[in-house]
Order: sequence, then structure tokens, then C-alpha cells
Amino acid sequence: MNLATFYAQHSKLIDQIGLDALLALSLSICLQAGQLALAQAAFMGIAAYVSAVVSLNFHWPLLASILAAMLASTIVAGVLALPVRRLRGIFLAIATIGFGEIVRVVANNLSITGGAEGISGIPPDATTPVIYASLAVVALALYALSRTKFSLAIALVREDESAARGVGIDVGFVRFTTLAIGGAIAGLAGALYAHSQFFIAPGDFGFGRMEQILVWCVIGGVTSPLGAAIGAALLTILPEAIRFLADYRDVTDGLILLLVILFAPRGIAGLWRRGARGRA
Amino acid sequence: MIAQQLINGLLLGAVYALFAIGYTLVFGVLDILNLAHAAIFMLAAFATWSMLGAGLPLPLAFLLAVVLAGILGVLLDRIAFAPLRRRNAGTLIPLISSIGMAIIFGAIARGIYGVDERHFTLPLLDAPPMRFGPVTFTTVEISIFALAIVLMLVLTYVMRATPLGRRIRAVAEDSVAAQLLGVNLEHTIGATFFIASALGGAAGILTALQYNSVTVDMGGQIELKGLAVIILGGMGSITGAVIGGFVLGGVETLAIAYNLSEWRDALAFGVMFLILIIRPRGIFGKRALRAA
Amino acid sequence: MKRSLLFSIAAVAALAVAMPGVAATVKGPAAGKTVKIGVIADVTGAAAVYGVSQKNAYDLANDDLKSGRIDTGGANLSFDVQDAASDGNQVVNLFQKFTTDGTTPLVLGPTLSGEAKRGDPVAVRASMPVLGTSTTADGITDLGPCVFRVSLSEAQVIPTTVAKTHALWKYKTAAIIYGDDNAFTKTNGDIFKDQLDKAGVQIVDTETFHQGDKDFQASLTKIQAKKPDVLVIGALFPEGTKIIEQATKLGFKTHMMGGNGLNSSQMYDVAGPGARGTVVGAAWFLGGGYSGNAAFVANYKKKFGSDPDQFAAQSYAAAQVAAELVRAGKITKADMCTGLRDLHIVQTVLGPIAFDANRDVRSAPVILQIVKGGFAYLH
Repeated sequence: MNLATFYAQHSKLIDQIGLDALLALSLSICLQAGQLALAQAAFMGIAAYVSAVVSLNFHWPLLASILAAMLASTIVAGVLALPVRRLRGIFLAIATIGFGEIVRVVANNLSITGGAEGISGIPPDATTPVIYASLAVVALALYALSRTKFSLAIALVREDESAARGVGIDVGFVRFTTLAIGGAIAGLAGALYAHSQFFIAPGDFGFGRMEQILVWCVIGGVTSPLGAAIGAALLTILPEAIRFLADYRDVTDGLILLLVILFAPRGIAGLWRRGARGRA
Repeated sequence: MIAQQLINGLLLGAVYALFAIGYTLVFGVLDILNLAHAAIFMLAAFATWSMLGAGLPLPLAFLLAVVLAGILGVLLDRIAFAPLRRRNAGTLIPLISSIGMAIIFGAIARGIYGVDERHFTLPLLDAPPMRFGPVTFTTVEISIFALAIVLMLVLTYVMRATPLGRRIRAVAEDSVAAQLLGVNLEHTIGATFFIASALGGAAGILTALQYNSVTVDMGGQIELKGLAVIILGGMGSITGAVIGGFVLGGVETLAIAYNLSEWRDALAFGVMFLILIIRPRGIFGKRALRAA
Repeated sequence: MKRSLLFSIAAVAALAVAMPGVAATVKGPAAGKTVKIGVIADVTGAAAVYGVSQKNAYDLANDDLKSGRIDTGGANLSFDVQDAASDGNQVVNLFQKFTTDGTTPLVLGPTLSGEAKRGDPVAVRASMPVLGTSTTADGITDLGPCVFRVSLSEAQVIPTTVAKTHALWKYKTAAIIYGDDNAFTKTNGDIFKDQLDKAGVQIVDTETFHQGDKDFQASLTKIQAKKPDVLVIGALFPEGTKIIEQATKLGFKTHMMGGNGLNSSQMYDVAGPGARGTVVGAAWFLGGGYSGNAAFVANYKKKFGSDPDQFAAQSYAAAQVAAELVRAGKITKADMCTGLRDLHIVQTVLGPIAFDANRDVRSAPVILQIVKGGFAYLH
């Protein structure tokens, strides 16, 4: 089978991997700051709807609609950061899950979002090159970020918040920024998602998807963006790869997750580091 | 109409409360959010359906399914949480672990029962409803409500007046001190999971009977609503879970009664969000926020 | 002269004996060719109650094709039924599969209107014709110039439902409860409202719900307080049964009516005795006297042990239409599309079928009532 046929048959999957990697990166940056902020699916949804509406109703070109969508999701992320700034751990998680549910209900009930029926007929101009180009841009940006002092601040906030405060780091600013960045990346993913599906509906951006993104990050390695992206890619391919297992696919999904958690809690990135260093 | 809506709200609230107690017990003792709770909720309902299909009488099937749910909870702990405890794994990892178990439980249910909705064929369910003035309810509904209240009372008794309850509360308060005082940590945790999951399972069975419907995804909605309940009532507080359950049931029912039906979920989570911002420990929560 | 008469009689006699065999082997333009038509159905999942019937019908059709009861002029036609598990994403994936496999000329299905809105565009983009058998919401055939359906749309059925029930029950007020997150149930709600308005009926309350909801008591209590003469239910099977059950529990004594979602013979079993008398506008009736219907019902019952329902009938009719196209030699995507468009009347178990300019089927609805075990004509 040549490359062209392979692509034709698997183009949807290939696109999906790119989008999932973006989503994993958007959560990863928050997790790196120790924030269990589970609102990425909601940010993605907001961006998807904004980009769909401006494309369909105002005929904006792809780039403009993506930027508008990212702006919207980043602003929402920034606004969300304020009320939750004092929440930590599970409480932050639950607050953001609740936020996600509220967004879902709003999308379900507004006429501009097409209500529960969603929006269809979005021009599918987010082709594979566009998706992977965006992924590359984001990856480069995150890499550049990892070379700055800010990324050290992020890591310290995660490891020991009071110590970070002690050395003069503005913890609130770190948390706000990482959440906003996460919102921007999720927004990019959302806009691209809208322009690669024919159809978006509120159910696409609910807790189910959020859970998935979280699982990818954990499997890949909570503190490693590369790990998160790889985790996303692997777990997106997995259901297709084990399609032959038919009825046992779901169990296998859960089993793999469990095994990774129990035996490699630092995820794939952790295994890699362990291997590179020669011992645990 | 208000009277009937009140009844509707009480019924909804009772089931919410029963389910949320399971969440809050585990969180109080272990600081873990167990996202496999809803899966056990569902499995207990299916187990009951199977047993009824095999000819067992309802009370026996109910009892056996509740015990089964408890056992599943203990298993869940042994497989997914206990190994992580030894490793001091924080709060995120056990959460993911519970997601993994939830997926496995779901897959098992789907494997055995498929994705179709199951119904009960109990003559009890066809019994004519009873009317008292402006309100109507059925035998099933009153039984569900009564059973939920009884279970909550039993739990309160266990927690307040039995040695086991004291041990659980001690571990929830301070697990290290409790161990120093001779409490067997693993046994107590196991017992906590048994009770929590048994109650969650009971909630599942009652829900299935109430709507005459058992599906593999029946836990999806209540999984998230349960979060709102424990935040409202206070994480770790059983009284909070009960009160929170009824408050949420009431809020949702009133939302429908006052033409806000489509927004009722947003309302529930909006209230939860507000509580988290204004008073994160909820109405009855005693623990201060931990920096996780 | 006598000898030629004898000869003629012998010839006629020989022909008469050979005729049935001859009829079955009259070769059409597609003789010897293999045609596989794709079917997307929700055999499992929330819509399984409809999808299983559909799959059964195609299985029966495959049998009938093999045995020659359905005539394809010697072509080797079969239906490839794929399960979308009531999952919109799987529907899209299956459409992608059928449009890229290089051999499928036509897709039948999917089961639900919402799924069609989601997945048909994939087929349209690939110039693949789609023939819906159970999609009845608005806007389905508008999705593309090769999207057809044999299922009477709600827009075609509900006006008759309202007209007949109004004439019979003479109700003045109504309440509507419908799902606002599903293309089909939403259409239901909208069209019923529209028709009731036109009939001068006052709508005293409108309630909405979401797919997957189980508790309708609060909404029903509200409706009950307004005392409508009739309750309109725009729901699919899982929610419809619970609504009827809970309404009965709450003591509703009103008439009830609904759309195609309630059109399952299992309604009575699951929703309980309260479902009796609920009116459903339908496209087919078990006892209907259309050509071949009685045989279809009998064969279905023999093969599956239960009576077919409308979903089975519509699927079988679609199979009959597809077979007719194949018999006429239309076996490519483009030919199938023009074939459907220019279709002259085909006799099916739904009655005679043709398509109107909007690619909807031209047929008349039947108004039925739910009774124990199935349906009866409304009178």
C-alpha cells in the first residue's frame, strides 16, 4: 500500500492524533505548574464554537477565525483564573469540572451555538498540514518557554509552593499565565477541530473528553509536555490498533491505564528517563 | 403542584445523598476522589437485574447486590489505591487510577450486558400509584425513599456509635495518630470502601428501580452531580452529603418547576462553583483547604 | 394445420412449465456483477430498538436475494450492515469507510436523523448517494442532491396525526414535551407545535428534556397542573417509555400522541398499560394490504420469531428499491443517484414508492394507536 492510499484511509486518524497532541499540551502546561485545572475541554469547546460562528456567519478566513477563537478561549481562561486562584488540588479540579459543565449547558441552550443540535457545515479547511503546522508552532513555543527562567518558576511552584513564594516568585501570576497559555493552546485545538469536522455539538466538549485528555497527560508523564503529546498519540492510535480485539478493546484501554499507573506512575516520560539514566 | 414537586425533589435528593455519602467517605478518609464510584453504582443495578431475572425475590437480590457492591469497593481499593498508598502518590495519581478502574468496570458491564437498556418486569412496578390530595407517588417511590433514609440512619449509627465508626473517623482525622493509637489502617480503609461502595450500589439499584432502566452509562450524570453535592455539603462530612443531596435535589426540581429546566445542570454546578469560591469547605466541612 | 396447432400447444405448454424458471433468470444489464450496498444502522446502543429491526430486515433481504424472491436480474446483490452503536462518531467513520472503499455505490441509513445530519455530508462530499430509511427530521434531504429517504418525514406525517386526532377527540388545549438536543425529537416538537397552532389548539405548556434523562416527574407535574386535553411526546424510545410510564404514575388521564420515535411494538411492554391508546403517526402498518407485505410479515416472523415493525418494513422497502435499481443496471454511484431521482413507482412492502422533487418519498401516513402487543388503526 503506498503512502497516498494509507493517508486516504487513515486521514481522520492522523488529524485526530495532531489535535489530541495539542490538547494534551494544553493540559500539560497547567499540570507542570501543579494546577489540576480540568477545563481544557471547555476552552476547546468555546473556541470551536467561536471559530465556527465567525466562519459560517461572517465568512472569516481560516487564520482569522482561529485567532478569534484562541483569543476567546484565552480570555475565558484568564477570567476563570481569578475566582479559582485560591483553590488547590482536588478542589481546583472539581471547580474546573463544574465550569466545564456550565459551558456545556450554555452551549446546549443558546441558539447561536445551534443548541443541542450543534453547528454543521463548517468549512473543513483545517487540513492535515495545517494541524501539524500548528502543532509544530506550539511545540516550538513551549520548547522556547522551557529554556526561560519562567519555566523554572513553574516547576518550583509545582514542587513546593511556599518555597516558591519564599524566593519571591509571584505564584498567582505563574498560575494565571499557565492557565491562560493552556487556554490558548486548547483554543487552537478547538478551532482546528471545528474546521476538520463537519459538525460540532456540546457533547463533544464535556467531561468525557476532559477525562481522556487527563489520561493522556498522566500516561505520557504529568510533567513532560513531550510525554503528554506522545501519550496522546499512543492512546489515540490504540483503539484503532487493537480493533482486532473487538469486544475486549475497552477493557484493554482501562487495563493499560491501570498498569501504567501502578507500575510507571511517572508515565512514559518517566520510563524514558529511567532508562536513559540506567536505573530507577 | 408545589406539593408534588416537593415530593419529586425529596426523592431525587435521597438518591443523590446516598450516592454522595460514598464519595465523601472515601475523600474524608483518603483525600481521594474515587471516580469509579459511579461504575459500582451501575454494576450493582445490573447485578440486581440479573438476579431478578434468575428468579430471586427483590429484597434478597437487593441485599446481595449491595454486598457485592461493597466487595467491589474493597477490590477497587486493593487493586487501584492500596499500592499507591505505599508509594505516597498524592491526589492526582489515585484519581487517574480510579478512572482506569471505571473504564474496566464499564467494559465488563458492556461485555456482559451489551449497550442496550434493560428493564425490570416486576409486578411491583406496575402497582397503581397512591394519591393523597395534591400528591401522587407509587409504592416503589415510597420504598426507595424509606430505604434511602434507613440506610443513611444506619450509617450515622455506625459512624457515631460503633468501634468501627470511631476508627474510620479517627483515620479521617489523622491517619498517623490513629495508627499510633493502634488502629489497623488497611482494615479500616477496607471497611470504609466497603461501606461507601455498598451505599453507592444501593443508590444505583434504587435509581434503576425508580426509572425502570439499567444502562451501562447510567452513572455518567450522577458522577458529576455527586461532586456538586459533596462540595455543597462539605468534603468529608456525611451530614453534609445528606443535606447537600437534598438541597441539590430541591434546587433541580424547583428549576424545572420555574421554567429553568434546560439550565438546571448549569444551576447545580453554578452553585457548586460559588461555594468553592466563597466557602470551599462547604456547609459542614471541617477540614481546611489543603495545599495538595 | 392440425400439426402446427399441436406444435403450438406443445410450445406453449413447454413455455408454461419453463416460465417461472425463465422469469427468474431474465438477465438484466447487471447480470453477473457483484454489488455490495452499505448499511449503517444502530444495532446496539440507545437506538438499538430501531436498529435491530433494520438489521433483521436486511438479513431477510439478503436471504430473499439469494433465493431469488427479490429479483436483481442476475446480479449478485447483498447488503453489508455495519453497526454504528448509536454513536455519531462511528456513523461518520462508517460513512468514510464506505466512501473510500472504492466499491460501495449506495449507503442505506443511518438510523437517526441527528446521525444523518452529521454523517450524510461525508457521503455528499464524495458524491455517494444516501437512502435514509428511518430519518424523518427536517432538512435531511436538503443535505445533498443525492440524499433520498423512503421514510415519511415528520413534516409529512404529523399534520395528518393532528388532523385526525383533533377531529376525533376535539381537544382545545395541549402540552408538548420534547427533547431539545436531538434533531429528530426537536423536529417533532416544532412541527407538532406548528400544526396545533394551525388547528387552533392552545398550547398550555411546553417542556424540554435531554437525551439520557430518566426523571420527567418535575416536568410532567408542571404539565399536569395546567390540565391539557392532550399530551404530545416528542421523544425517542428510551425517553418516550419513561415519559409515558411516569405520566401514568402521576395520574395523567389525557390522550397522548407522538411521532415516529414511539413507533415501536415494544412500547406497551416497557411503558406499561398506560401506553394504551397513545397515538402514533406512522408510515406502515402490520396489517397493511400493500403488495408483498403479508409475505414479508410472515417470512420475518418465521425467521426472527416476532412481527416486524415499521423500521424493518422501511429497511426492507429500501432494499427492494435498491434491488430494482440494480436490476435496471444501475450499479455505480452516479447511476444510483439518477436512478433514484428518476425512479418510477416501485412496489414495496410500504406500498408504491416514488420520490418527489425534494427527494422525499411520496406516500400516505397511517395513524395508529398503541395496544398490547403492537398497534391498531385509530378509530
